[in-house]
Amino acid sequence: ETWTMTSTWPSSLELIEIDRKWVENVGKMVDPEVLTIEFYDGGSLVPAGEVFGAVESGTIQAGADWPGYWAGRNPAFSPLATTASLFNAVDYVNWIQEWGGADLYNEIYGQFGMVYLPYGVTNNESGFRTVSQPIRTVDDLQGLRLRLSGLEQGRLLEKLGGSQVSMAGGEIYQSLERGVIDGAEFSTPNVDFSGGFQQVTSYWSTPGWHQSSSVFGVMINKNSWDALDEATQERLRLAADATMLWSLSFTERRANEAYRQFEEAGTEINRLDDAALERIQELANETIVEVACENRDSARVYASMIGYLEDYATWRTASAPFDLGRTPNGPDLAEIEACAQ
Amino acid sequence: MPIIRLIDGINEVVGRIVSLVALIFAAIIIYDVFMRYVLGQPTRWAFDVTKQLYGFYFIMLGGYALNHQAHVRVDLLTATMRPAMRRWVEVAGYVIFFFPFAWIFATRSWTFAMTSWNQGEVTYGAVALPVYPLKMAMFVAACLLLIQGVSEVLKLILDRAPHIYGNDPVQQEPTHVR
Amino acid sequence: MSGEAIALIMSGLLLLGLFMGHPLALVLGGTAVLGAFIADRPQVLGIVINRIFGDVLDNYVLIAIPLFVLMARFLSDSGVTDRMFEALRHLMSRVKGGLGLAVVFISILLAATTGIIGASITVMGVMALKPMLQYGYDKRLATGLIGASGCLGILIPPSIMLILMASYAPGLSVGQLFAGAMVPGLLLGVMYAIYVVAVAWIKPDWAPRIAEADQISRGAMWKLLLVEAVPPLILILGILGSLLAGIATATEASAIGALLALLIVIFRGRFKWSTFYSALLETGRTSAMILFIVVGATAFTGVFNITGGLRASQDLIRGLADDPYTLVAVMLLVVFILGMFLDWTGIVLLSFPIFLPLVAEMGIDPLWFVVLMAVVLQTSFLSPPFGYALFYMRAIAPPDVRTTDIIVGVLPFIALIILMCGAMILFPALVTWLPATLYGG
Ligand code: NA
Ligand code: NA
Repeated sequence: ETWTMTSTWPSSLELIEIDRKWVENVGKMVDPEVLTIEFYDGGSLVPAGEVFGAVESGTIQAGADWPGYWAGRNPAFSPLATTASLFNAVDYVNWIQEWGGADLYNEIYGQFGMVYLPYGVTNNESGFRTVSQPIRTVDDLQGLRLRLSGLEQGRLLEKLGGSQVSMAGGEIYQSLERGVIDGAEFSTPNVDFSGGFQQVTSYWSTPGWHQSSSVFGVMINKNSWDALDEATQERLRLAADATMLWSLSFTERRANEAYRQFEEAGTEINRLDDAALERIQELANETIVEVACENRDSARVYASMIGYLEDYATWRTASAPFDLGRTPNGPDLAEIEACAQ
Repeated sequence: MPIIRLIDGINEVVGRIVSLVALIFAAIIIYDVFMRYVLGQPTRWAFDVTKQLYGFYFIMLGGYALNHQAHVRVDLLTATMRPAMRRWVEVAGYVIFFFPFAWIFATRSWTFAMTSWNQGEVTYGAVALPVYPLKMAMFVAACLLLIQGVSEVLKLILDRAPHIYGNDPVQQEPTHVR
Repeated sequence: MSGEAIALIMSGLLLLGLFMGHPLALVLGGTAVLGAFIADRPQVLGIVINRIFGDVLDNYVLIAIPLFVLMARFLSDSGVTDRMFEALRHLMSRVKGGLGLAVVFISILLAATTGIIGASITVMGVMALKPMLQYGYDKRLATGLIGASGCLGILIPPSIMLILMASYAPGLSVGQLFAGAMVPGLLLGVMYAIYVVAVAWIKPDWAPRIAEADQISRGAMWKLLLVEAVPPLILILGILGSLLAGIATATEASAIGALLALLIVIFRGRFKWSTFYSALLETGRTSAMILFIVVGATAFTGVFNITGGLRASQDLIRGLADDPYTLVAVMLLVVFILGMFLDWTGIVLLSFPIFLPLVAEMGIDPLWFVVLMAVVLQTSFLSPPFGYALFYMRAIAPPDVRTTDIIVGVLPFIALIILMCGAMILFPALVTWLPATLYGG
């Protein structure tokens, strides 16, 4: 069996390393006679936005992605990819592995004839980088035109007084430079640095409340998946788990290095204070309930995620300060559950 | 032959109407530029709408351009051939290259458009614009191209293709092509 | 089937279709389909549709192509160039080779307002060829000069070629390419001007001075020049200025340019609904023609890539060149040879997917490389047997100018283009200085 696989990431973006790692891990675990994966960099087979369609139709067997790109097909892909001020990377790992998350990925992707193996998490994204006006408080967002991806994210920004501009990753640098936008979020610090954002922005506002963490993985055409024997399927899953653990520490190390590089480049870094984050949390909760109640699948995914947060809160709180992250004061579970019916 | 007239007529009408779409997307871009730089209030929809209109515009004009022999070709050898020979070589070109492509283009874009339609696919962002109309336009455009190819072949077979007898290597619009 | 075999078969089919005189766009698309069946992988044809939609229809950058075509058409309807040429012709009449210099300068000015070459060559050919021949210019010099200068339109920004290149070169923006091509484009124009003056000195009977009787007073000349030069300058500032100063994107600049050109038509009293409508129809046909080549080429490269043809081609080039200079030389040679037979759209779309990864591998600056490609592609318009400039000149020139005159006439200019490429290789700053100044490292 030979699979053709591509990615939504071009070779110039460090995110592709996660995809390459999984392919490499599969190569180590699976007999090439049984399965060989031919990996093509993003953009060389199909444009990023078409990877979903190419796997769905079986034209290619596998495609690496960030699920949020497909939210135009089902809004539930959005919380499968990231959350506004909710999950951190460990929450995604916990939820996917032990609190039923993996089933939801397969259910939503399953609607499109695909199996999904989540194999990458990155923790908090950088936040907004602005050209001439620093974002030190929530009020500073007022009237700013910011590049931002995501439906929930756009609505949340509008509630905060900013306006969302959608544009592809490749256009951000020039748009910042020529003042088409006032600022932008893109990815984690290391990916941002490779994009040269330190050259065109002077200010950086952390944390990345719009995208508290992200999930990456591979879509596999159901027929191709079913054609594998069970042992091979199991090896692909194990390769995904191994890649996921690696991706967390790899990107955290790289993000940390890049943070220093931004400092050295003279970027002024401001962290929003806790009061501001609390205000954002309230509005994020409001937005999540709104979006969840517009789509049943979306509500079901959110209900499961918030259910996990509440369930895990007992032990997470008890183990403080040695716990893994925070229990956010999230949206109302009952309200979302009602919309999931 | 009525079929030739019908096909040429359809693409002519489509071409004459769709060509005007350039004015619409030019106007939207200028409106957006004005709103953004002069009033400081950019539109939320201009980016996606202009992109979709542009895609609709050029793809629908493929058959129209073929009818006008506007697609660039290298007629180094064919221009020196006797008309009868040239006609058959050109028919062969349609059979070998045009029809396989146009057929795949039409059938695959039908599946492509139907998938999008069944999913109710929209763009992803605060403004959710439906995507399937453009994908359906792509299928219609492929059909327009396909039938124009039929007309061109009939013209060649029936010896009614005027370009065969012009020996000018530059095509129909020497003034402005590129 | 091996990648080498499929690369060979698909290249063969491509050549076959081209020489059969079938439209390039459809030869590319047809070869993609046949290639997939021959490789016994018809299921990969799905990516053809994914690519056509994602790369060509859903592509914000390419919106600029129809709008720049429309702008060029409005501009030629406005008659601005005819009048400017008149003015410049009188201004230059006192200099040796003056008429030739006027051709170069007007071509540069035209190039800075339009992104396509057909308009420049035809307009200049119609206006300048007759007076040049009448004043005793050498046929070969006159036709070669008009043809080569006209081609600057697609090198000096704005340029639809650079727009297409930016869309296919990951990480490069239209603004960067425009800035990068500016200096080499202008320098090439200057080289043409120097060449004309040199010929006029060495062989005075090839480029004679205009008779005194045909000259007008200095005052009248300056008035003519000022009146005629202002509208195109506004256009240049409006488009290039806003783009390079960082106010607008290329797509926005193209829409503004079309509007400004239309306003010039209106203010000069040249507006007619019928001309306006035919401008739109012609723009539709030309845009469809260019963008369908993109459609065909994206289908071709998709199948070429997935069946292994692309990797095989890259391995072949890798085997030929193991250092950056040889690699660049090999690639330039390939483009030069392709330029004899193919249209620039096809060359860009076929070669970029093969070349750019190799260029990145070797650590060559992609901006510099892409601009170098843009300069060498100037030869594709001029080199026989297939060259648009040759065709346009043939269509315009009187019958006593033989086709061989035109071909011999462009040869010195091809040499100058190659010289320019050499200069860019020796002095990369010719390309990189302006983008670095405007946009930083
Ligand atoms: Na130009
Ligand atoms: Na040529």
